[in-house]
Amino acid sequence: MDIQKLRDEAKRALGRKEIEYLIGYKKGSYGFRISPCFIETKEEVDQLTFSPLCSLSLVNYLTIEGKPLLPADEKKSKAKKVALLVRGCDSRALNQIIAEGGISPDQLYVIGIPCSGVIDLKKIEARFPHTPDPVDVVEENGNYIITINDQSHTVPVDELKAETCKTCQYPTPLTCKKLIGDKRAGNPPQYEDIQILEAQPPEEKWQFWQNQFSRCIRCYACRNSCPLCYCDGCILEKLKPQWVKRSVDTNENFMFHITRAFHLAGRCISCGECERVCPVDIPLMKLNRKMEKDVKELFDFEAGLDPEVKPLLNTFAIEDPEDFIL
Amino acid sequence: MSEFEPNIVAFLCNWCSYAGADLTGTTRTHYPPTVKVIRVMCTGRVNPLFVAQVLRTGADGVLISGCHPGECHYMKGNFLARRRFIIMRNLLEFIGIDPQRIRMSWVSASEGKKFADVITEVTEDIKKLGPLQSFKENVNGHPKTEG
Repeated sequence: MDIQKLRDEAKRALGRKEIEYLIGYKKGSYGFRISPCFIETKEEVDQLTFSPLCSLSLVNYLTIEGKPLLPADEKKSKAKKVALLVRGCDSRALNQIIAEGGISPDQLYVIGIPCSGVIDLKKIEARFPHTPDPVDVVEENGNYIITINDQSHTVPVDELKAETCKTCQYPTPLTCKKLIGDKRAGNPPQYEDIQILEAQPPEEKWQFWQNQFSRCIRCYACRNSCPLCYCDGCILEKLKPQWVKRSVDTNENFMFHITRAFHLAGRCISCGECERVCPVDIPLMKLNRKMEKDVKELFDFEAGLDPEVKPLLNTFAIEDPEDFIL
Repeated sequence: MSEFEPNIVAFLCNWCSYAGADLTGTTRTHYPPTVKVIRVMCTGRVNPLFVAQVLRTGADGVLISGCHPGECHYMKGNFLARRRFIIMRNLLEFIGIDPQRIRMSWVSASEGKKFADVITEVTEDIKKLGPLQSFKENVNGHPKTEG
């Protein structure tokens, strides 16, 4: 993708008087890290960047605590907007949040970037350990060209790409004002690993998840990085009633992960951010994709495709399956 | 050792199933004493997380019972509940809890006999599955001892 085009588009967006600031990516301060940036003037536009290292979801910064879009009383009078860069998955997240009424589309100016998939930080850091200086990564012909201290390395895309991006269905943003670059075709969904786990007897499934969840240190990074976990009073922080105790033990971890997975049923947009940020490598996307698969099979519903469609659990159909009901 | 008596928690809706359960009592129909009833205003009020919470705090099975489709006092509460519990059941099944432990039924206020049948059937099924040990609240990863 041409970064100059992105910067030009950002300049044009910031030139509009209703746009207050733009949320984009800039180079991080060390290694393979990328950080979000908030740009208010045209002069700052040159720090904008986009590369396969941009794995974090900028949608989070619209709903994050302490960073309100606009004070409530200013919303109508000034009608200011925030410009935002989105990839395919972010665009679905945005659609879903808009459908839920979490954010108003009038407050947004969305610039879409067709995304070819992002690099899994854990994989690249394992491959190139001890890399303190900022790094350049470009994707070319099925390879990543990684430049570290003026030395370039060529690595096949498949070795570093995040697992979720390999099966991404919607790499092109679905709803955006401006699209930079050409549209990309998505891959068909794949649920083979889910079906294998589904077919196992309950004891083995329990054992599998026990091994996974017993490692959880309850850092809540999965929740914080999730673009769709934006509730003000998160149920996990409630003390009355206290749904999940703060102690880290396997049973509480089970409850935490059941809560998280259930709250994302019919909402998860498969960005894979939860799994990428997990410090103990719990395969959280397995849970999310199981929910996604069920919702697709049972209700023919996919999250975040259309901001006008009501959320799955707010609606019902008379002919919903009820074979388990006595 | 005596036979395993399952511990079942039933969420009954105020308008149909609770009245149905009442009728079972007033007509003196017998059913297994394994069920602990919690009255809610509507099945739509039952948060699916209640199911997980109930199972891990000692129940071997959960029953959610409400009005027949189309007869909900609040028009659509039972439809919404149905959708939620389909998803919750699938999630718990995926994690390794037998879905037979999470049951739902439609029992109207006049179906006292059906309520007794439902409880009998659910009790029989859960007896076959045995107690739910894996999900009970743990202390440092070890299952709590009985008593």
